[in-house]
Amino acid sequence: MAVTSKALLALNLMLGLSLCSASFARDEAARLAALKSRVQAMAQETACVEAITKIQTLGRAFGYYTDKGYFGEAADLFTEEGSFQWGVDGIYRGKAHIRELLTRHGGGSMTDGPGLPFGRLNLRMQLQPVVTVAADGNSAHARWREWGLLGEYKKSATWGDAIIEDDYVKQNEVWKIAARRYYLNFEAPYQGGWAALKAVSGDWRSPVAKEFPPDAPVPQQYQPFPALFVPPYDYAGTLAAIQSRAPFDSPQRPDDALGRLEALADAKELQLARTHSVRAIENLQAMYGYYIDKGQWHKAASLFSRDGTYESGQSGVYIGTAHVERALSLMGPPGLAPGQLNNYVMVQPIINVSDDNRTAKARWRSDVQLARDGHGRWGGGVYENEYVNDKGTWKFSKLHFYVTFWGDYDQGWAAKPYPMDPPSTTNPPDRPPTLVYQSFPKLQIVPYHYNNPVSGRPTPGEHE
Amino acid sequence: MLKKTVMAFVSLWAAAAYAQGSQELQGLEQQLNSLGDRIQRLQDLTEVEIVQDAYGYYVDKAQWHYLADLFAPDATLEIGGKGVFLGRARVFEYMHVGLGPIGPRDGLLIDHQQFQCLPTINPDGVTAAVRCIAFVMSSGGWGHNYYEDKFVKINGVWQFQKLHGPFNMYSGYKVGWLDNTILNTYPEKWPPWPDLPPTVIYLTFPNYYIEPYHYPNPVTGRPMPPPSPRAGGEAFGRPPASQ
Repeated sequence: MAVTSKALLALNLMLGLSLCSASFARDEAARLAALKSRVQAMAQETACVEAITKIQTLGRAFGYYTDKGYFGEAADLFTEEGSFQWGVDGIYRGKAHIRELLTRHGGGSMTDGPGLPFGRLNLRMQLQPVVTVAADGNSAHARWREWGLLGEYKKSATWGDAIIEDDYVKQNEVWKIAARRYYLNFEAPYQGGWAALKAVSGDWRSPVAKEFPPDAPVPQQYQPFPALFVPPYDYAGTLAAIQSRAPFDSPQRPDDALGRLEALADAKELQLARTHSVRAIENLQAMYGYYIDKGQWHKAASLFSRDGTYESGQSGVYIGTAHVERALSLMGPPGLAPGQLNNYVMVQPIINVSDDNRTAKARWRSDVQLARDGHGRWGGGVYENEYVNDKGTWKFSKLHFYVTFWGDYDQGWAAKPYPMDPPSTTNPPDRPPTLVYQSFPKLQIVPYHYNNPVSGRPTPGEHE
Repeated sequence: MLKKTVMAFVSLWAAAAYAQGSQELQGLEQQLNSLGDRIQRLQDLTEVEIVQDAYGYYVDKAQWHYLADLFAPDATLEIGGKGVFLGRARVFEYMHVGLGPIGPRDGLLIDHQQFQCLPTINPDGVTAAVRCIAFVMSSGGWGHNYYEDKFVKINGVWQFQKLHGPFNMYSGYKVGWLDNTILNTYPEKWPPWPDLPPTVIYLTFPNYYIEPYHYPNPVTGRPMPPPSPRAGGEAFGRPPASQ
């Protein structure tokens, strides 16, 4: 007993004597623990960004399969018990039914294997994803736009427009589609286009639903264009899709073994944050597009920073979220007017995040499908936008849409181009246009925010 | 004696703790490096897509010098049915001689939009592939083409190694793809002539051709099955009795 207490005393003395080094050891242990938890957080974030890219791959692979009549391969992207809700037709469950559903809509064969017959066009381009991964990393959602070029040679040519809302799950490390809700907005004959569509009345289920009944009815009825229907957003109420890491300053690390590891972690963490930011900005631009589609001006303006700016064509510059919202309102009343179509497709991103992950610039493209008062219109143009990382949430600090062309639907942009609107007099901009130019038939090279990505040469906005 | 024992115990404990600590550091370093490899792949995916998308914007405005800059010196190009062009200089020639002078021409729209890019970084980390759609809105009407391109990373910079763009559907504007479709190109259609003949002979819409996917099915992992030999025929999918 005495021996033990003496020994304890000696131990205490020794520990007491080496107080300085003990505090150092305690400090080191705390640093080690902090580094460990950082590495764990980085592993989770890496898995999250990987999940976003894998889900983007799933959606795009689906498009390439349906394009060419590979409906069995497309159905294989679903879980065994996966479901596909088509318009108001109903819900089809399981890979076999999904395969048959796609085959019947696409004109393929259940017996002949992959392919399409002569003259069948089934292009269903899968665009503009907004991907949100759940906190546990095992499930996810996405919104997509499907732009269809459909038909049969010498028989029909049709435009398709739909919003897709997907649920995904990760099973044995593989991401799969668990449930797809396909909200058909219209299938419009090429002649006349979407602007000539009449409101549907009564049962508008497709002929496929009648020949091949679904496993369950849809939970919600809706009317397609020209009625105005907003497919529910899976990301309503969450900003997760447009968040990455808040800007951070890496402290000077001590030049010891642990310090060198901390510095390595700092570098990888920044690189990870920047790749995550690319996906958040993709989501942001896509989300903006979906709000514009439906005349949700307030929601769209809320994606701008407090002093963010907006400029479209020759509109001039609007500064601050309130003015941005007023500028957007020039396109129509909130929620759009009856029969109004306002599709702005967001594609072809070139996103460059700053080295410190605080700001970003991106070039994007929009094709525009409009209908107003029964008249259809095409548009196209290029964005050069800027973004700011606001405490981890990405926002527009500048949106600038350069119009390439406006054109009449019936005659085409080449035969009947329209000029851009001048700045509004009823709701004038805060600043005049930053660049005065004309749209097609004039052509303007939109200045590039980036140098040539391979040679590094600056690309002139004027001429070579 | 007692003091000595305690001292020995403490120093043993410290040594063990130190050894455990350095082992832990090693483990963390390994974790960080393997995370670093995965993060690099994510960055590569973005960089490869940027090269593909930048290509599209340069075509829009006929900026052929800048477009050719995106190709490795020994890269190849094969578009439509024109055959294969070898090297960056011939990439430039294909565009400049074949498609027109440098710079945009008022009244001539050639928007060459890049949709639905699906990039894959190979395990070696220095080669990659992309499947992409070129959706064309031009003064002449519509175009829908695929790209199945290969990329190589040289001195840390991703660039085209092989651009392969099979045409799918071209049509005029008035009635679209109803019946106003345009045939594939062929080597002698317009200059310049190719260095090598086409690697594949196929017909565009209304015929059926599928350019092979560079990737397996992302869920099953199985390679792409070949299309039905009946695909593209009128008899495809019909029961034998109705043929």
